[in-house]
Amino acid sequence: MEVSKNSFKTLSEPVKQFGGLVGIIILIFLTFFVLNNIFGEGDELVAKMKIEEERIAQERKLNKLISSLPSGILVSFDGTDNFKLSDELYEAVCKATKLIPQRAIMGANFLNFRAHEIYTINGNKIDETFVKWDDEKNKCFAGFVVSGNNVGVDETVKVSGEALSFLSTGIDTRIYFIKNF
Amino acid sequence: MKKLIFFILFSSLITSLAFARSTGCKEGNCDNGYGKWVYTDKTTYEGEWVATKKHGQGTETWPNGYIYKGEFKESQWSGIGILFFPDGSTYEGEWANGFMNGKGTFTWSDGKQKTGIWKNGSFQE
Repeated sequence: MEVSKNSFKTLSEPVKQFGGLVGIIILIFLTFFVLNNIFGEGDELVAKMKIEEERIAQERKLNKLISSLPSGILVSFDGTDNFKLSDELYEAVCKATKLIPQRAIMGANFLNFRAHEIYTINGNKIDETFVKWDDEKNKCFAGFVVSGNNVGVDETVKVSGEALSFLSTGIDTRIYFIKNF
Repeated sequence: MKKLIFFILFSSLITSLAFARSTGCKEGNCDNGYGKWVYTDKTTYEGEWVATKKHGQGTETWPNGYIYKGEFKESQWSGIGILFFPDGSTYEGEWANGFMNGKGTFTWSDGKQKTGIWKNGSFQE
């Protein structure tokens, strides 16, 4: 121990400084290694970033598709003068759609009196809306949830059905007709 | 600066006036008589009015494709009427308080039919 201490003292100043620098660098690396193990998410974080990048790419693709659609009503069925969506477009528009306007909700409520009552009592308030593509049925489903106090009773009603038409505004698409019968 | 504030206020006034004009009575008499009312979301009602309410025979057309033709009472679908759904399905029969109430026939777009008594939009088995 005494020998190594003496030999260190005999080293020239530049060598000592270089050794110190290497030591500090190693210490910094070790510190970050330890911190990364404690707080870092490593592979998990990379996977999350990859998923997010894929989501952004998908969203851009859908936005491009929406801007290419004609403005107005888009339908998935025959028998109208409105723009008829192909199967591929129907799926893509469904996946890109998030909004359900009031008239579509009011239309679905024609066949659900309880939902209509709660919706009216609560000043047209909607708890939740959803638009989902069903891979098994190859269909688009949309709906909404209303809840509130109806004649002293707390009620929650979920209304859902097949989304058969959409409104394209040029900026986004909206559900226009929910067939719940 | 004063000019800018005046310009902003004036523009806001013009814009709100323009929007306010997008709803209202477009044709005829919407107080007592026959008139056409257009709402901000492009829903239209064309028919008879009594004391500023839809009352009598009329047609209400929603922008998403629902069309009701028939009787109105106190601005609600009440009496005999037919509702056309956007996909071509129809309900023809009695209405009360805006819902299928009474005797009526529901016809799906594929031609399938159900006739009977309806209560608040539900078929009574």
